[in-house]
Amino acid sequence: MWNAWKKAFDAWEDASARYLETVLKNRLLLTPAGAALAQLTKTKALVDKTLATSLGALGLATKRDQERTLHLLNRLESRLLDLEERLDERTDKKP
Amino acid sequence: MNRWSLRAQNLGALAVRPKVPVGVTPADVVHAENKWRLLRYRPRHLRFKTPVLLVPSLINRHYVLDLMPGKSLAEWLVERGHDVFVIDWGTPGDEDRYLTFDDICDRYIGRALRKAAAYGPSGKAHVLGYCLGGTLAVIHAAVRPEHVASLLCIAAPVKFGGSAGGQDSLLEAWTRLSTFDVNSLVDAFGNVPWQLMQSAFHMLRPTMGLSKAVHLVDRAWSDEFLDGFLAIETWSNDNVSFPGECYRTYIESIYRKDELAMGTFALSGIPARLENIHCPVFAISFEHDSIVPADSAKALTDRVGSKDKTHLHLPGGHVGAVVSKAAADRLWPKLSDFWAQRDDLRNALPPAPAVAH
Repeated sequence: MWNAWKKAFDAWEDASARYLETVLKNRLLLTPAGAALAQLTKTKALVDKTLATSLGALGLATKRDQERTLHLLNRLESRLLDLEERLDERTDKKP
Repeated sequence: MNRWSLRAQNLGALAVRPKVPVGVTPADVVHAENKWRLLRYRPRHLRFKTPVLLVPSLINRHYVLDLMPGKSLAEWLVERGHDVFVIDWGTPGDEDRYLTFDDICDRYIGRALRKAAAYGPSGKAHVLGYCLGGTLAVIHAAVRPEHVASLLCIAAPVKFGGSAGGQDSLLEAWTRLSTFDVNSLVDAFGNVPWQLMQSAFHMLRPTMGLSKAVHLVDRAWSDEFLDGFLAIETWSNDNVSFPGECYRTYIESIYRKDELAMGTFALSGIPARLENIHCPVFAISFEHDSIVPADSAKALTDRVGSKDKTHLHLPGGHVGAVVSKAAADRLWPKLSDFWAQRDDLRNALPPAPAVAH
């Protein structure tokens, strides 16, 4: 009984997935969904920018400033590791 | 006790079932940089001299390749005598929104490859890329082939247009949508939130959750199945966000413009042409993979310049086919054999030192 039900379920699941795939590819659904997501992200970016500008006007470091600094530190670390590798190559050092 | 009683008992105790240990094969950190680390699984009895570097997807945890004891590709390879390294990408911080595709695919993979390759006699390593990790490995190998002994890609997308029987796959259709604004997404979030990407993956097959639930009830009598199921669930819910700038390039150049397949993509300013890959290449795709269609993965062997190239299409899905019991019988031996046949120095070696960086 269970096996028969499961077989029927698998067939239904497969058919439903195929049908939903056509729905989820439909531009009539996707275009407005994409536009809504874009609008939401633009709004969030605008709010963040406004907040950052206000903080900047007060002479405070913004989150973005801190992120940039941390990123540059990470990049510097990578460059140092590059140099270390080159030195190792020169001295033919094995790990 | 019959199967229904076992099912009822196991499902009833599911919430209090002890956590399955994941990613527990002993490994040492041989390099650490920013958030990523290079791990070397402790060799047991090395039979093959050329090291193997596993490159997992950027947006999932590396331990899918070391899921749990008995269902771990890494553990199995170590047992088989390979010297295995894996990149653990770690969790990007907010500042990693500025990490570029070049940083990750050229600088980081390059360093991991050089470090791993230094443990072998030829200064080369076999590279295995899984999913997006495979795409990154392919691009790297096309531009920096010096340390790549061979390239093995499991469910790695290479062609990003018309790869579902001539039509766009769902992911291709979504990313190509004119109203999908990748720039505003990256500007708003920095790193692209894993929750957003996970929702998209769930939408690829919306009935998957229900199907998994029914499958769980069906096999709940088996403790072995339950442990494996819970381990995969632990992994699939443990995702990481995509570094923003890298995502922008990935979507704009690789997905939308299909630059990798078209031969117009450049890594660090150097053209990444598939025909520049001349090492042995092995691409594997899966029949029920809703994320990477077979045509997308097969494009690798169609276009590389190598003469030694193989494409294998196996039954199974994107994850299950790599970590299931069937994978241990059907897939893993093929990977090891591929490397073994291309590793001409098979004598036992003294173990290399496990160096902490």
